[in-house]
Amino acid sequence: MTEVLASRTFRGPAADEAIESVHNDLDSLWLDVPFVGDMDQMTFTTAVIESASNIVQHAEPVGQEPVELGVDVEVQPALLQARVSAYHAKPPFGPMTPGSPDEEAESGRGLALIEALVTTVTFERQDGTNTWVLTRTSEHG
Amino acid sequence: MEFSHEVKESYAEVKANGRLNMVSAPKLREFVTDVIAAGSNRIVVNLENTAFMDSSGLGALIGCLKAARQAGGDLRIAAVQPQVKMVLQLTSMDKVLTSYTSADEAFSND
Repeated sequence: MTEVLASRTFRGPAADEAIESVHNDLDSLWLDVPFVGDMDQMTFTTAVIESASNIVQHAEPVGQEPVELGVDVEVQPALLQARVSAYHAKPPFGPMTPGSPDEEAESGRGLALIEALVTTVTFERQDGTNTWVLTRTSEHG
Repeated sequence: MEFSHEVKESYAEVKANGRLNMVSAPKLREFVTDVIAAGSNRIVVNLENTAFMDSSGLGALIGCLKAARQAGGDLRIAAVQPQVKMVLQLTSMDKVLTSYTSADEAFSND
């Protein structure tokens, strides 16, 4: 069984306030695991916030219920893992691969940034829920 | 995130304190647009107290840079912290958004 050293879970409406809550959760998570290096904390926080923001900005409801954001972050020995989910959401539309916007573009860098920050990104869809699973091999432990 | 600005002799300094994310990015853009409209086209965004920036925040800075240039000026950033520096480097935007150690230094050679 995987050993979980610390974790945080968020679930709530996919709205602006959720981003600040998830960020505060991450800041408090790192206080529980000071052995996780600054670079790992910084990169993983950025990837999780990018993914959560992507849901708040782009996820569309599949039915009557509004989209909810779920973020589950776990610190395991030598691994950081986050499951970032859009509940009650349509399947994502548009390209799932990073674009390469020109230098004057004001959007379109999020996916490439996420991929640069983590070790693996995988996508799952089940029962109206889109989940991005982010992992980063950590230098601790 | 909180914004403030101060008009100096040769530029206007905008301070952005907090997290520059999808929530605050449109507000930064609006704030800088207002500073430009008030007559300053040389802008330094002081990021000394910006501990975090995501791609939305980066997009807002690029939008502000374009607005400053359209007004015949320029926008530079100063006192970049490690996370912001990382995002700039990973997106190769460190070549577009010139970073200076301090706000005073940003336009000192112009």
